[in-house]
Amino acid sequence: MFEQYYPIAVLVLLATVLSIIVVFLSRIMGPRRPTPKKSAPYESGMSPIGPAVRRLPIKFYLVAVLFILFDIEVIFLLPYATLVRELGVYGLIATGIFVFILTIGLVYEWKKGALDWE
Amino acid sequence: MQLPILESINLMAVLPVLIIAGWACVLLVFDLLIPRSRKHWTAWLALVGLLGAAVALFFQIGHFARLGSEAAFDGMVTVDGFSIFLQVVFVLTAIVGVLLALDYLPRHGIERGEYYVLLLFTTIGMMIMSMAADLIVVFVALELLSIPLYILSGFAGMRETSEEAALKYFLLGAFASSFLVYGIALTYGGTGTTRLTGIAQAVTSDALNLPLTTVGMGLLLVGLGFKVAAVPFHMWTPDVYQGAPTPVTAFMSVGAKAGGFAALIRVLVTAFPAIASEWGTLIAVIAGLTMLLGNIVAISQSNIKRMLAYSSIAHAGYILLAVAAAQRSENASFAIGAVVFYLLAYALTNLGAFTVAIAVERDDGTGTEIDDFAGLGKTRPWMALAMALFMLSLTGMPISGGLVGKVFVFQAALQAVPGDPLLLAVVIIGVLTSVVSAFYYLKVIMVMYMREGEGKAVLPLALKTVLAATAFGTLVLGIIPGPVFQMAQRAMLK
Amino acid sequence: MTITPITIAFFIMAAFTLGGSLGVVTNRNLFHAALYLVLALFGVAGLFVLLEAPFLAAVQVLVYVGAIAVLITITIMVTRRIMGVTESVNRQWPLAAGVSAIMAITLGFVVLDRFAGKLPVAAVPGDNIVRLGEALVNYDAYLVPFEVASVLLLAAMIGAIVVARE
Repeated sequence: MFEQYYPIAVLVLLATVLSIIVVFLSRIMGPRRPTPKKSAPYESGMSPIGPAVRRLPIKFYLVAVLFILFDIEVIFLLPYATLVRELGVYGLIATGIFVFILTIGLVYEWKKGALDWE
Repeated sequence: MQLPILESINLMAVLPVLIIAGWACVLLVFDLLIPRSRKHWTAWLALVGLLGAAVALFFQIGHFARLGSEAAFDGMVTVDGFSIFLQVVFVLTAIVGVLLALDYLPRHGIERGEYYVLLLFTTIGMMIMSMAADLIVVFVALELLSIPLYILSGFAGMRETSEEAALKYFLLGAFASSFLVYGIALTYGGTGTTRLTGIAQAVTSDALNLPLTTVGMGLLLVGLGFKVAAVPFHMWTPDVYQGAPTPVTAFMSVGAKAGGFAALIRVLVTAFPAIASEWGTLIAVIAGLTMLLGNIVAISQSNIKRMLAYSSIAHAGYILLAVAAAQRSENASFAIGAVVFYLLAYALTNLGAFTVAIAVERDDGTGTEIDDFAGLGKTRPWMALAMALFMLSLTGMPISGGLVGKVFVFQAALQAVPGDPLLLAVVIIGVLTSVVSAFYYLKVIMVMYMREGEGKAVLPLALKTVLAATAFGTLVLGIIPGPVFQMAQRAMLK
Repeated sequence: MTITPITIAFFIMAAFTLGGSLGVVTNRNLFHAALYLVLALFGVAGLFVLLEAPFLAAVQVLVYVGAIAVLITITIMVTRRIMGVTESVNRQWPLAAGVSAIMAITLGFVVLDRFAGKLPVAAVPGDNIVRLGEALVNYDAYLVPFEVASVLLLAAMIGAIVVARE
């Protein structure tokens, strides 16, 4: 009953083994003679200015949240999609209300400019 | 085919919720179209929607007086006296929440249409809470109640206290929700259903389920205990109540609490009658602790919002005592009547008290110390009189709704299990802590009348209206409680 | 207890979940803690697979491992002064550990008490995604929570925008 997961298992195994090999091979084979200049973060060949870790703009957060909300919407609709025909008009109305309410949200965020990057 | 579906869905039974939900969506879009300087239009429209729901509720009262109760969506939600009574409380509270914000938001420079939309959403959550007959509905409704409140408590985002309030409320609220979900999962694991009536059957028919369901019930209690601010899940209350914009504090101190109690009572009484003496004991103990802590810590508070926060913890204790009294089914209807009556009295009184706090508060969010009330007795005699009435009602003094509420609660507890030492002890704690509470409530009255001060307050028409209505309501409940209590008595679970 | 490939897989997934969770709460570096969280969430997805709930496993990977982990890392990155190792500010952790231990023992006890040594009540139906779809939209099942969930998502959406755009 778990046969369908064999490809995934093989993939996970392959990815793990491969990444271990790659990391360790370069450890073993590559010459390592670090100097302060070399261990500094790479910034187009110039000396680095400021810290390497910068604060991201808040926009990224907004996009991430909105993505999750619509992601969840899709998840809710997916089971219904398996029996669209059986549930007929009734199912269409039920999910239609669901989608309609979230579409209002889409209109709202669009108008608020939450989808504009600039 | 079509007709039976519509009959068992029974949309008419949930009409008030539908009205508010639809109106909130319309309002959200409408708010986008109106210019920034006209945001008060959104407020007035929100009021229109709430009044529409109130009218629908009014018709339902008559309808259910004839029919008793009705199930909708094949028993997922139950519309009975209990839920209608509480829905009236929620809609009234929401109307007050809009009226209080009408002048507060522009004065504090935080006026945005989303306030009113979020307020409507959380009201829907509360209303569904009171009707939920299935644990999944309880959970979704609780989240719908909570999430807009997290946002609203951070609505004055430029104030650090408001931000802190939102973050604290959100983190602890999410934590408490996870307990609730885990409780639901265990209960489902034990009984194989999430319907409250189904759980009751499964628990009685198979004793194997008992330990699992008992622990599940305990976790549910944690999740709901957080919402009603019962000890030991009260930690968030003072900071959130103090930091949140005052209209939000007023709204949630009443609405969220009543919503939590609605679900608590329905879940305990409907789903867990088999372990009633267990939860009765547990809740009685929690009630005692909550009264003690709330009342004693409130004494040392100098900030009115913080003091009212501890007072709100204390009142959760009194209501919990009545919940504990619902453990025996013969006494349940009286106890539930006491709970909803107390909730109504507390709602009126507390909303009134917060209205006065809003009037005294300055535009930068300061002016919330009790000392700022000095001199109000001279400058604002009517407002001071109303505040005095609210404080007396919160203490439980005569001619106020607070006294009647407390008497009903204690009576319910005493006749629940005659001769039970625990309930008797908790009733004694309740009486003693009521006396203790006089210290800090009367201090406000003393400061208003006895101490010299500027006594500045801004009292626009909306606040005046709320003040008059809540003071009138508190008096009516105190002087002629009979009719309302009879209605509350009929607010039985079906 | 006989050891089958499934029990081995279970122990691997349980180790992922528990080890990842421990990593989250013990790591001083918030960013590393977030990465451990991904591991723990992935372990849960594996457990769903073993419980024959493939849809939930897929949801777990899509929403939790995918979206929520990304959101958490982004949240850490938009926050000032939080990247990098931070001092532990939690002085109450022994108390919290004690309470958690008591909780774990109680829960473990009641679950074992009810289910240990018992065979599954019923076989898992193969078409459980179809059943889920039916249950979500049928009025005699979970239509109310389904529709309320859309209102909830809408409220959350408004909330996110109100919080982020000030």
